[in-house]
Amino acid sequence: MSVLATIATETLELAQEANLTADDQKGIAGAAGAGMAYGLAAIGPGIGIGYLVGQAVQAMARQPEAAGAVRTNMFLGIAFTEALALIGFVVFILLKFA
Amino acid sequence: MLLAILAADEAPKEVVNPIIPEVSEMFWGGLSFAALFMLINFVLLPPVQRAMRDREATIQADKDAADAARAKAASAKADADDEVADVRAEASAVVDTAREEAEAERQRLLARAEREVAAMKEIAEEEIARDREDALLQLRPQVADLAVNAASRVVSRPIDANAARPVVDRVLNS
Amino acid sequence: MIAVDFPSIQNLVEWKNIFGDGTFFAFNKIGLISVLALLIPVALFLFAKKDAVPRGLQNVTEGAVEFVENQVIMPTIGPDGMRFLPLLLSIFLFIFFGNIFEVIPTFNMPANARMANPLLLAILVWAVFIFVGVKNHGAKYFIEIIWPPSVPVGLRPLVGLIETLSVFILRPFGLAVRLFANMLAGHILLVTFGWLCVVLFVPNALAAILPFSFAMLVLLTGFEIFVSFLQAFVFALLTAVYIDSSLHPAH
Repeated sequence: MSVLATIATETLELAQEANLTADDQKGIAGAAGAGMAYGLAAIGPGIGIGYLVGQAVQAMARQPEAAGAVRTNMFLGIAFTEALALIGFVVFILLKFA
Repeated sequence: MLLAILAADEAPKEVVNPIIPEVSEMFWGGLSFAALFMLINFVLLPPVQRAMRDREATIQADKDAADAARAKAASAKADADDEVADVRAEASAVVDTAREEAEAERQRLLARAEREVAAMKEIAEEEIARDREDALLQLRPQVADLAVNAASRVVSRPIDANAARPVVDRVLNS
Repeated sequence: MIAVDFPSIQNLVEWKNIFGDGTFFAFNKIGLISVLALLIPVALFLFAKKDAVPRGLQNVTEGAVEFVENQVIMPTIGPDGMRFLPLLLSIFLFIFFGNIFEVIPTFNMPANARMANPLLLAILVWAVFIFVGVKNHGAKYFIEIIWPPSVPVGLRPLVGLIETLSVFILRPFGLAVRLFANMLAGHILLVTFGWLCVVLFVPNALAAILPFSFAMLVLLTGFEIFVSFLQAFVFALLTAVYIDSSLHPAH
């Protein structure tokens, strides 16, 4: 967290040094935060979906006759896991354009 | 007008958060979806489902008919197989009896032939023995003459053939 | 330092009103796509023959019906979920045809990259699964979520709070956001690489990147077709799962 705080404050300091208006500063801080928010939000779901699909493929390879049920549940799991990344994406848009 | 609707909006508008839904878009979306749901639910889906159900029923009926036909064919084939097996068994029984009879006939013929051969052999042997006997009997006087002649030459005086006869017979018989 | 002037997101997702500007029935590209997402499925059903041996368009229509039956309803609700077929089928078709305009030239915009349609459908699904739950279990439906009898008494307030939040707030929110964010992200990706193909058409070394952005554009177009289908599938699948959880609450 301290790294993020440092980046945010340094960005703000740079913005202040460049004599930008308050709106510009807000925009810059928002853009920096937005990029960070999405990047961080993508880590967990990335690992999660990778693990999920890997296990699903393993299950399908071990029991090809259960592939249909495994695939349906895999898509459900992906949908729930992916929601976190997508909320991160929405937060990105909120920070960037709010 | 259509082209105008497809072109991007170039005029910069006030910044509105893109997440906030617009009422007009919701209106058209809701109207379209409601219409789609109503149409599909009451008008469009039933005939398609009926067609699919009919097809399924037809396929099921055809499948049942095919199964029945297959069962019938299988039973007919089993019957035919049984028949064939019966006929085959009969035929093999006939062949077996024929073979046994033929074997018995053969044995009978063989035995008879052997018996005949043995009889003929016996007869032939008897004949041969008899012939030898005859030959010996025919030869005997000549042999006796020869022996008496030879003996008279040896002793250099005539020998009475009739007197020498018993001696010659005794020698030949020994 | 080389910078590319990227168009503002306002120019990517907001469209001119063609009539009714300023009123609640203002008609823009999103409205047009919504109407087309109504008309195309209707045409699919109308022009498909109802022959015993399916040919041509009939295959597409019956394929869609069978897909929803076998891949969405059967694995989740089971055979007694067939009465939800019209709802799930219209959700699937409406979302799919709203999405697929993302890759159709001159439209190049998924209707579901605006919050309007996803939110509407999510609220509809929310209302449907609550209605189904109340119809099948009465007040017990709410009680079992707020005060779940299957967990120890000490944990019930906590689990009940989490369940209430997740069922009544996160479900519709997740449904709407999943569809919206997926389509918006795909749209932005396509625009990014399309825009790169345009601005990199320059007589200097930067043009070396152009083939890569073009290849990415082609690949992503294929990927987005898949995503259009997948998101419609997932939305219908989750709707079926939620309806199932209202029909047979887990214990």
